[in-house]
Amino acid sequence: MADKMQEEILDIVSMVIEKEKKQIPLDAHLIQEVGADSMMALEILAALEKKYRIVIPEEKLKEMTTVNRIIAMAKAAKKK
Amino acid sequence: MSKQARSLEIEDIKKLIPQRFPFLMIDRVLEASPEKVVAIKNVTANEPFFPGHFPDQKVMPGVLLIEAMAQAGIILYRQKFPNDKLLFLVSVKARFHVPVIPGDQLKIQVVPIKLLSKMGIEKAEIFVGNTKVAGCELAFGSQDAKAL
Repeated sequence: MADKMQEEILDIVSMVIEKEKKQIPLDAHLIQEVGADSMMALEILAALEKKYRIVIPEEKLKEMTTVNRIIAMAKAAKKK
Repeated sequence: MSKQARSLEIEDIKKLIPQRFPFLMIDRVLEASPEKVVAIKNVTANEPFFPGHFPDQKVMPGVLLIEAMAQAGIILYRQKFPNDKLLFLVSVKARFHVPVIPGDQLKIQVVPIKLLSKMGIEKAEIFVGNTKVAGCELAFGSQDAKAL
């Protein structure tokens, strides 16, 4: 389950940022190191909400800095 | 129609969106709430873009259909965040189904996918009668969106 979600979220991030998955290290800062911007973060957030039927509040956007943090956030939101 | 929904005439619309002639693409708003906006644009033969698009066959440019959906989108954003921030389009995924010609009344419907104070993603559709003529998903941000 955990690995499946990691793979799915990496798929979403890769699609939005338009980079191959192997170019996105799980702990790399998406904006500073991978080349994403804040609008891409919003697109990732919207895609996560749709896929997992969760609601992520606005202030969480700032915390979506790495793929690992996004995964942790999505998991936490899903449990609620 | 939800309880909060209200209609807007042109002077109210001009208070919400900064575009003016020849770029004001909304004539009336039938329904405005944070959950949905339904707006009207009447396309006449006198539109300023028709002499060039095209001289022998008047077709409303697809980019202006996107503009109309984006302007309805600004109205939707302002229902939730009543500020006067200038909003910029960031990305558009659009599809056009039927050409729009003089005499068509565009019914533009916009709903939020995710609306935040500094940016948002919305889904818009345009109908002429019961026929869907265009649809798009648009993302926009305000000037201060980069200071996230």
